[in-house]
Amino acid sequence: MNSRYLTYVAVAITVVAIVSAVFAYTYYNAQIVDLQQKIETLENTVAAQENELSKYRNLTLVDDHGFVLKLSSYPQRIISTAPSCTEILFALGVGDKVVGVDDYSNYPYNFSEWIKAGNMTSIGGFSTPNTEVIVSLKPDLILTAGTLNDENAKTWRSMGYNVLALDPHDINGVLQDIMLVGRATGSEAQAASLVNSINARINAVFEKLAGVTEKPKVYYEIWYDPLMSVGASAWENQLIEKAGGVNIFANQSEQYFITSSEVIVSLNPDVILLPSSHGLGAPFWGSFDQVKARAGWSSISAVKNGRLYVVDSDIITRAGPRIADAIEMLAKIFHPELF
Amino acid sequence: MGLDAVEASYFKRSSLWKFTVVLLAVILFVVIIVSLNVGYAQIPFEHILLILGKRVPGISSVIDSSVVPSVEEMIIMQIRLPRIFAGALVGAALAAAGVMYQGIFKNPMADSYVLGVSAGASVGASFAIVFGAGLTLVGMGAVQVAAFTGAILTVFLVYSISRVGPKVPVTTLLLSGIAVSIFLSAIVTILTVISGNKLHGIVFWLAGGFFNVEWVDVWAVVPFILLGILASYFFARDLNLLALGEETAQHLGVNTERVKQVLLVLGSLVTAAAVSISGLIGFVGLMIPHITRLLIGPDHRVLLPASTIIGAIFLVICDAVARVLTGAMELPVGVITALAGGPFFVYLLRKKKASYGM
Repeated sequence: MNSRYLTYVAVAITVVAIVSAVFAYTYYNAQIVDLQQKIETLENTVAAQENELSKYRNLTLVDDHGFVLKLSSYPQRIISTAPSCTEILFALGVGDKVVGVDDYSNYPYNFSEWIKAGNMTSIGGFSTPNTEVIVSLKPDLILTAGTLNDENAKTWRSMGYNVLALDPHDINGVLQDIMLVGRATGSEAQAASLVNSINARINAVFEKLAGVTEKPKVYYEIWYDPLMSVGASAWENQLIEKAGGVNIFANQSEQYFITSSEVIVSLNPDVILLPSSHGLGAPFWGSFDQVKARAGWSSISAVKNGRLYVVDSDIITRAGPRIADAIEMLAKIFHPELF
Repeated sequence: MGLDAVEASYFKRSSLWKFTVVLLAVILFVVIIVSLNVGYAQIPFEHILLILGKRVPGISSVIDSSVVPSVEEMIIMQIRLPRIFAGALVGAALAAAGVMYQGIFKNPMADSYVLGVSAGASVGASFAIVFGAGLTLVGMGAVQVAAFTGAILTVFLVYSISRVGPKVPVTTLLLSGIAVSIFLSAIVTILTVISGNKLHGIVFWLAGGFFNVEWVDVWAVVPFILLGILASYFFARDLNLLALGEETAQHLGVNTERVKQVLLVLGSLVTAAAVSISGLIGFVGLMIPHITRLLIGPDHRVLLPASTIIGAIFLVICDAVARVLTGAMELPVGVITALAGGPFFVYLLRKKKASYGM
């Protein structure tokens, strides 16, 4: 009786043990398969990223001044030495990698507030960057614009820093530079979609302007005392043309030059563009009434017809992602009936 | 030589001087009319004569200027004429002040800026350009007012530094002028560094020019410049005696300290007024008196009026060149004065080297 009872218990335990073992095996086997699958996926991802990275390592960038740039990894600490560079970086979504900006960068964020709050470092003025600050920021990429910083860029390159010089001369140049920065910062896809949207907006303006035969003569004021305007080689001249206007100084080869009331009165512009002052108090040109009251200006067509406009000079002068804004803004001023 | 002979020779010279001054005045008038014809806009000369004739009392009724487009009238009357007047006034002021200073200091290197007028005006103007963006009270005139004020304050400072009791020794005056100028130049440099996008405003002000001169600017300085220059003529004889040395002049009855004080004030006043509309224009104050001395002689009774008119002629011509040399673009007139005046002065100096004396 006792031994039989023990046999039952032994059988029951055995059965339970076998059943548990089967259950355990099935369960853990599923887990193992799952883990194996995960490992495989991860391995695939790593392989894909390595593949991407090796492509990147083999990528050689040539900047607008002809310098060849080879980066060993995606830049994590970027310095922008010009407002246009800052705008491009933030438009590409790599703004979180930016560790230093020049004092004139003010878009898309109020960087002077950031700098005050300690969330961003100022590297100095546009033409007077502080190399000590730049060194202390340990950048792995420095963006420059135009030729003003050529000497500094030379120093930085000799110190072993990666410098990418942007110097676009037309709208295509700006779009190419956006792609270049996209490749350099690993944001090629964002760059491509940004370029597409800029192209689409500019083309929409061109379509509206397609039938335009009468283009207004435009005077763009850079400074009042002395009077300064823009010539054919200036960036502003291109924007005016693309937006369906004619710069009155389009046949002047200089970029920026001094002119006089007599010349402007003689050329008789239909539209006068005056730059805004960006919170620096009253603009240098005073008020519309003061512009209209300048000696001899009452005979200018733009003054007679009240076609004086304040334009955001940041949008106009920066060869960055806001060129579509600039062209739309100018086209609306030149051809209000079409928009 | 008897007394009669001296008198006769004086009258002979005196009439020659009168003739010279009248001749120079006629040349100035012609230069003004001709330079009215110079500019970017092509305006027929007969139109200019019609525009001017319409404003001459007496013949205005017989002038029919209906053929003249209003734009042309605007350009001549509102843009070119005030600019030419400003050029003549500034040239006259700088040259006259140069004669006064060279006479007082008996130093050929003295010019109208010697007492720190230029540095003081630069600081004033730069301040107004950098910080005066919000100044709409005096509008575009803020820079002019600041330049004038800066110039006058600086001269006052230099004068107070160098005064020893009731006397103002010329050496001390020259040295304190230089010291104050160097100090103020440093301030201008600081202002240019922090000026940002207003930098070109300062740079072109320092280069000098008649970029946006309007009638209101001209009228603002006319009293200072004309009265200042006219008043200085009463001291021409004293300047002649000062040329013999301060002590000699004193023995001959000249109140040398008083003469120096008055002429320093007059010279600074006309220079400050000139600088306030044109910015810094070099060469005129230094070289025109020397050129006039080489051409006409060192007697201040003729040197002062002749330098004044030659200064005016020179600057009107230089400004006309600055207007047209580069088409729609304009050059700072200070560049033209130095480029044209320098070589001409060297030529005169070499030609008359033997007879040249202060």
